[in-house]
Order: sequence, then C-alpha cells, then structure tokens
Amino acid sequence: MAANFGRFLRINLSSGEIATEAVPEQVAMDFIGGRGYGIRYLYEELAPNTDPLGEHNKLLLLNGPLAGTSAQAVSRWMVCTKSPLTGAFARSVCGADFGAWLKFAGYDFIIIEGKSEKPVYVHLTAEGCQIQDAGELWGKDTKETQEWLEQCYGKNTRTACIGMAGERLVKYAAIVSGRRTAGRCGTGAVMGSKNLKAIAITAQRNVQLHDPTTYNQLVKEQVNLIRNSKGFQNHKEWGTTRTQDVTNDLGMYPVQNFRYGQQIGYEKITGAEYRKFRTGEFGCYSCPARCGKAHLVKTGPYAGAYSEGPEYESIWAFTGTIDSTSIEATIAADQLCDDLGLDTISTGSCIGFAYELYEKGILTKADTDGLELKYGDHAPMIDLVKKIAMREDIGNLLAEGSMRAAASIGKGAEAYAMHVKGLEIPAYEPRGAKTHGFNYATASIGASHCYGYSRQDVFGAIEPRPSDRFAEEENADLVVYNQDGTAWKETGIICSFASGWDWIPALYGRMLAAARGMEQLADDDHLLRVGERIFNLERVFNVREGFGRKQDTLPRRMLTEPLHTREAPGEGQIVRNQDKFLDQYYEIRGWTKDGIPSPRKLSDMGLDYVVSDMTGISNK
Amino acid sequence: MSVEIYIPQFLQHLANGVDVVEVNGRTVGECLNDLVKQFPQLEALLFDKKGKLVELLNVYINRESAYPEELAKPVNDGDKLQIMYTLVGG
Repeated sequence: MAANFGRFLRINLSSGEIATEAVPEQVAMDFIGGRGYGIRYLYEELAPNTDPLGEHNKLLLLNGPLAGTSAQAVSRWMVCTKSPLTGAFARSVCGADFGAWLKFAGYDFIIIEGKSEKPVYVHLTAEGCQIQDAGELWGKDTKETQEWLEQCYGKNTRTACIGMAGERLVKYAAIVSGRRTAGRCGTGAVMGSKNLKAIAITAQRNVQLHDPTTYNQLVKEQVNLIRNSKGFQNHKEWGTTRTQDVTNDLGMYPVQNFRYGQQIGYEKITGAEYRKFRTGEFGCYSCPARCGKAHLVKTGPYAGAYSEGPEYESIWAFTGTIDSTSIEATIAADQLCDDLGLDTISTGSCIGFAYELYEKGILTKADTDGLELKYGDHAPMIDLVKKIAMREDIGNLLAEGSMRAAASIGKGAEAYAMHVKGLEIPAYEPRGAKTHGFNYATASIGASHCYGYSRQDVFGAIEPRPSDRFAEEENADLVVYNQDGTAWKETGIICSFASGWDWIPALYGRMLAAARGMEQLADDDHLLRVGERIFNLERVFNVREGFGRKQDTLPRRMLTEPLHTREAPGEGQIVRNQDKFLDQYYEIRGWTKDGIPSPRKLSDMGLDYVVSDMTGISNK
Repeated sequence: MSVEIYIPQFLQHLANGVDVVEVNGRTVGECLNDLVKQFPQLEALLFDKKGKLVELLNVYINRESAYPEELAKPVNDGDKLQIMYTLVGG
C-alpha cells in the first residue's frame, strides 16, 4: 500500500500508552476504511455488554482512504463507538477539515481506550502524540475550546471536541469540529466519560499516492462531472435549506411530534426566507459546494444569534417539533447546540416530546420549573436546550433521551417517544415516505435518515427504480439497496450529498486503486460486497448486544394513528404491514425470521469467524 | 418522434394519476410542452416565468442527466424521459 495508509493510533487514557499499529492488508481489502474499519475493530475489540460510558468502551475517530487528497467531497470523518443512547453500534459523521488533518498526521483512524483520571486533551502531529492536561478547557464551550487550542498550537490546528453537554454525559451529546458536528448517537458522551475534552491535530498537507498521475486525471474527471450536475449547482446555491419546501409540499414534514405531515405557515420557513438571514458560506476540505450557509439574526429577542447553519434537520428540529415558524429562534437554538455540543435532531425531538406531554397533562408546570410548553411558543424551547446541556431541572430527565425519559415519567409517556432503538426519528415522516421509514426501523444505529436515505421516496429518484412512497413490503429491496450503498460509500466517508452528483460509483473505486495500489478496489462488485459485509457485521454486533426483530420497529404512532397532512397528499396514511416488510427484508438479507444473519449469509460475506457468536441467540 | 415521459409520484396528481405519458417532440423542451398540453396543471410546476425548467427539477434522458440546457437537448424515437428533484437530502 502507498504511504499514509494502513496505520492507526491507539491511545490508552488509563495507562497513558500511545502506539502506532498497522492495518493488515486483508482487512484493508475486506473493509476498505472509514465505517468499514469502524465496525471491524469495534466488533473485534469490544466485549458484549460493555457499558457505553464505562472505561472499557472504545471511541474511534476515522477518516476515509482518500481524505486529504485533491479528490472532491471525500474528506469527511466519522466516530464509531457503542452508543450510550441506544446500546447499539454507533456511527456519527462530521465534515469540516478534521478528517483531512488526521490523514496529514499519518493515520486512518484513532482508537481511544480507557479513561483518564482527570480531564485531558490529545495533541497530535506527524511527529508524535501527547496527552495534555485539560483543566483550563473543561467547562468551555466548543467554540472557546477550539480557539484556545488554535492559540496554543497555531492556525494549522484542527480540533474535535466536546462542550458542556459531553462533559455532563448527555446521552445525545455531540463531538464538534469547526462548526460541524458528529451529532448522532451520543458519541460526545462517550468522549466525556473518558474525561477527554478534545483531540487537536497540528499538521500540514502531506499525502502520498501510489499512482498520482492516474489519480489526478480521475480527479479532473470527477470535477468535470460534478460541475455538470444540476444537483451540485442547487446544493451549492442552497445547501439543504430548501428541503423543507419539498417535504412540506409532500406531507412528510413531521409536525407536533409526528402528528401532522405539513406545517401551517411553512411559507415562513422556506429556503427563500432563510436566504434573507444569510451572511456567508463555508464548506468542508476539498469540496466545491460550500454548502454550509451561515445565518445571523439582526433584530428582535434573538438579535446576535449566529450559526453556520442550520441545516434541514436542524431547521425541522426547532420548528416542526414545536410547531413554531420562527427562523430567528431556530438560528439561536442551532447556535446553542453547536456551542454546547448537542445533536440537534435528538434535542429538538426530545423537546417536541415534552411539549406533547405538557399538552396532555402528563407533564405540568411543576415538572417543567414553570415553563409553559405550548405549541408555537419557541421561548421555552431555548430554555430547554440550555437545561438539557447542563442537565438542570427537567433538562436532566430529557438529557437521557426520549426513550429513557418516557420510561421514567410513566403515565403512558412511552406512546409519545418518537425513536427507534432509542435514537430519535429525523425530519421525514415515515407514513409519508415508507421506504424511508422502514430504513429507520432497520438501520444499525437506530432511526437515521442517512443510513439508507430513500431518494426514491423523497425526490423521485429513479435508481435503481422509482418507488411508490406509500408502498410497504414491496419496497424492501430498495431499503437494502439504499443501506448497502451507503455502507460502501462510507468506507470513503463520501459526503452523502456529493454521492448524488453523478460521479458515483464510476470513479470512487478507480480512485481507491490509484491512491492505494490495490487494483481489486476498482471493481464495483467488490465495493458492493464490502457494503453488504459492513451492514451484516453491524447487525451481528447489535445481535450480540441483544437486538433483533423486536427492536426493528417504528413507534406505535406510525402503526396505529393516521397521518394528517393538511393540504398535502398522504392524508390518513398508516404503516400497516411492518411485519410483512420485515419478513421480506430479512429474506432479501439472508437473515432468520428473528432478524439474525444466518451462518450461510455470514460465510458468504467472509465472516465465518463470527458465526459461533450467533449460535444459540434468539431475540427475546 | 414518440417519446415516453415517466411522471414522478409527486406530480402524478396533476396528470390524472398517470405514471407514463406518450409525447411527441424533437427536444426535451418540445416533449415537456406536449406533456403540458395534455395536462395543463403541470405547467406551473415544470416551468418558471422565463420558460426555463424550474430550478428544483432535472430531466433525465434514458437515465442520463440532460443538464445543462435541458430543454434544448435532442431526443430520439423511443427515448424515455424521467423527471426528478435535484435536491439531495438534508
């Protein structure tokens, strides 16, 4: 393999030991990188039933094999661990520059083990790695932390860090780098549980390729394809700030805790309205889109609020959940989540959950410290974001996630917790986009829109075939296609937006081969098999933790209550055939009726070594 | 020139629920104009005030993007056109 590839850094915060290790060539061939390495190493090294917030959990920060090169939109990075929110496999993706900097330092990934006795941060360069005291940093928000470290180590420093939410082990605390977030699954809490405040990398561009001539030619082809993609041009212009225009028109924009599919007054929160607040654009390393749109509030009670966002999910998290149409409040809430280090999706969803409980009298003013949680009123929402991050008052309960909060509250609250496996559902109504919804039910990490995004349902995509978004078991094949496709793309941590710009899959495999000197990587069939292998190993990881068919379910609301779409199509939709869907999905996947990968399937995937782990397991 | 247009689900309610429509035209633009003649309610969703294809939609010819200058792209007898949003997620 070419230099710069095939190495990872192991940092033990209990002993202080730091070691560089090699990735075996066969592992590189079978898993390629990124999410592939994430699940492979976590499965191998994490014992079942490990406490996610205990010292034996492991936190992996990974880039992809093409990170830091001139290839476009392939320098994102991700975190893999066992989630404290779900107890399942966790993967959380982030943008900005950190992935490239990790590659400049010479690594494909870092494994963090153990727990420091006191708060520390890690400083990494191409020359070495040190664990440093973080006493001055603990208690700072993510912006302050990054500024402090940049002052210490210079402008060629990029940092991944937690805010106060991660320090307090909020179950959906995030890891932040720049103003981008590895949001989902509570990876920030895992980092906080290790008393690790930040990882700072000081480095300069330094990537060596196996065949730079071929590689550079492929990048030119990629740039040409991207520039001629209408999807790219739109994404460059708008980022994700127009998606709510479409989802509201289609009746799949969840409102009031997933009771409605269209928001009254949504014309106030369209992309065109957000444009009025825009002050600038920013992007990730080596990506021409600069799709991050910064917004500033100049007047009113939130004057001064500034966010390098919000993205679509965050737009929804602070409008649809509480039925508010305030752009200003959304920008303010988004900024708070970035500063404090919170996942906007879970934060907004948990707040929407609280609002419905308040409406129903399950929570009262006595429970909410006097806050009146009324739909349409965004002021209490801002208070709740802060309380969640700091674990104050009712924020301490909501910080546990809606699944645990509901169990603690009782009184029927569980019926209003909108999650799958504990991970709160994102901004697409499952009854309005059922292929998308069934992806939520079966994704390895819980309800993740990114895990197997159904562009067929939402945008009318035609590959591999168009879908009827209200069909159920008939579209099981599309769920598998979307999930496995995402898995192989995430070996390179290719930006999911960029994967819709007409250059995938033609170029990715060829780029891998030119970068690393492994010709088999250029074979599209090999990529497809790697994606399927990754998804199956994630499933095995989860089965080993006790997951199976029982947990592959949408909330009862989607199965029993008709959706109200107001003026949009889809009125009255319910998910009726979840069982039939699961039967069909498991059959396509080669799993048992309990949702457990069969020995034959595992052998076919080259995962014979895990077959014995599945013996005797049934989903109880 | 006989061409089929596949109507995406999000537009079918404006095309009498039909998912495939046969149209005539030598270019993508002519084909879409023929579609609009058959289903006039589609016009406002397909074309902007300047007569261009709206920003959020793209047209594919036999699964290949017709962008840029979509409306001017020539089509052949038997070609299949598809319409989809250009947005990629969020």
